[in-house]
Amino acid sequence: MATKICTSAVIDAPIEVVWAKVRDFNNMPQWHPKFSRSHIEGGALSDEVGCVRNFDIAGGGGTIRERLLALSDTEYYFRYCILTSPLPVKDYVAQLTLYPITMGNKTFGIWIAECEVTNGDEAGLIDAVGNGTFGKAFEVLNQYFAR
Amino acid sequence: MVNVYRSAVIDAPADKVWALVRDFNGLPKWHPAIGKSEIEGGLPGDRVGCVRRFTLKEDGGLLREKLLTLSDSGRTLTYNILVSPMPVANYVATMRVTPITVGNQSFAEWWAEFDVTSGPEHVQVKDIGDNVFVVGFAAMNRKLAKK
Repeated sequence: MATKICTSAVIDAPIEVVWAKVRDFNNMPQWHPKFSRSHIEGGALSDEVGCVRNFDIAGGGGTIRERLLALSDTEYYFRYCILTSPLPVKDYVAQLTLYPITMGNKTFGIWIAECEVTNGDEAGLIDAVGNGTFGKAFEVLNQYFAR
Repeated sequence: MVNVYRSAVIDAPADKVWALVRDFNGLPKWHPAIGKSEIEGGLPGDRVGCVRRFTLKEDGGLLREKLLTLSDSGRTLTYNILVSPMPVANYVATMRVTPITVGNQSFAEWWAEFDVTSGPEHVQVKDIGDNVFVVGFAAMNRKLAKK
């Protein structure tokens, strides 16, 4: 039975501005405090579908490699899977999608991951990814753009 | 063919917002522009294919709309207009409610595609977007907002 993790939030900035910040698949450590150092393997471009980002969990938490599966500038989403990581997961696929909130000119972000948990601790993974990664991302983005 | 899209944050959990939205005969309970409503033929309002017949408060104009899709898992409903006083044809609209997990609120969307049969398209688009959809969201938020 696959585990589904879903976190969603309001970001107080127009969608074009938020999208410009998050669409760079190589840029997450620049704004997400949980991660450090990132590069795209093999010299590919970061918006080249199929490219692999290779980045670290800050504080010596290990390296994650993820492949970009889809990127849409019209529907404001990107989708990726984990190739290798220290996380207790397999078949991990995730997608971040942004929607415009027309009343107030803000952004609704929803980040969904599906995977198999390999160590039996589903609640721990949901907290680490749903809150520690996705929730934290929305929090820092909202602070970054706060008007 | 033109399309109009509006979205808003409703300060209530998604299940509450969806309970209001999914009641296809319930527009008068929350939308200030709507007078009386009934489902034709005495059918239940959640029977896909049923037709709601309702009047506008302002001028008594009659609309008949058919329920095309109702999804409790996707919190989505789609309907089309059979009869209305508006200069539109081939009108199909969708409402969708998505949970905002950070803060336990709801992201509500309402969009439509249609042909404008007389007058400038942008005027009709703005009228439906602002006077039907946005007015509806504002009233919904007033009715459901957490105290």
